[in-house]
Amino acid sequence: MAASEDRKNGEVANGAALASFLGAGIGAFAVGVMVILSEAGLFVVPTLYAPAGGVSSRTTSAALIWVIGWAVLHSRWKGRQIESRRVHAVTMLLIGLGVLLTFPPVWKLL
Amino acid sequence: MDTMLFTDRSIWTMIHGIALGGGALMGLSAALFSLRAMSTADVSDVAAQTQSRCLAWLTVSIAVALWLTVLVGTYINFPPYRATPPAGLLDLSQYPRSLIQSDPGTVWLQSFAMEIKEHVPWIAAMLATAVAFVSVRYRSKLLSDAQLRSMSTALLAICFVLVFFVALLGIFINKVAPLE
Repeated sequence: MAASEDRKNGEVANGAALASFLGAGIGAFAVGVMVILSEAGLFVVPTLYAPAGGVSSRTTSAALIWVIGWAVLHSRWKGRQIESRRVHAVTMLLIGLGVLLTFPPVWKLL
Repeated sequence: MDTMLFTDRSIWTMIHGIALGGGALMGLSAALFSLRAMSTADVSDVAAQTQSRCLAWLTVSIAVALWLTVLVGTYINFPPYRATPPAGLLDLSQYPRSLIQSDPGTVWLQSFAMEIKEHVPWIAAMLATAVAFVSVRYRSKLLSDAQLRSMSTALLAICFVLVFFVALLGIFINKVAPLE
């Protein structure tokens, strides 16, 4: 079912794959942004589970952004052939920034 | 002999770090090797279809293991780790965060190591899920399409490095202030 959905002119369209890759990049970046906003005191999501503290809300919010971002991209790109090089580059950039923003030495630069 | 060999907290720590996190690391190694060794141009080959099915199962297992690692770590292991001890308590062995922060030589394990451990594994789980989705939806195409394969390999390699790094930090923390 999924395979035939992705098939276009005999080729398997890459849209759904790129949507999942870029979605993961958005999720990674969202984790970093949630952390840096919280550390800077600019935006703190209310704690979801008190025993775990703020990490429960930061990570859950980022996971929600990831799922929504992926779902939107998937609905728009599935069955389409997308030029992959730029998507790959943006995905890597978002992952890199996301990881970087979770590093405490970066917070000290604020 | 009523002495318990392991407490519940200790068992959950082992499930988190060794069974789930360690299992994910082994799975990531196998998946990275498979993506490299099983690349093929002929997706109609029966062997390639079997290999791609196995790879799909492997990547799904990695993603499940990482999500369980993350959820167990955040919601089961982390609360007792960060619990606040009663005022004036001298023996902090049951309060790992406070124990770490009581010694200037180990403060970095909280301010650097644990802060990273709280967030980075969630990124790894998202990356692994993306690759698992692609390996299930595209199956043998993953082994024949160079671009899909290279991006999947890159994400799994990043995932491996992140999990390896946070696992190492977890070992450091557990050596100094084990959750017992």
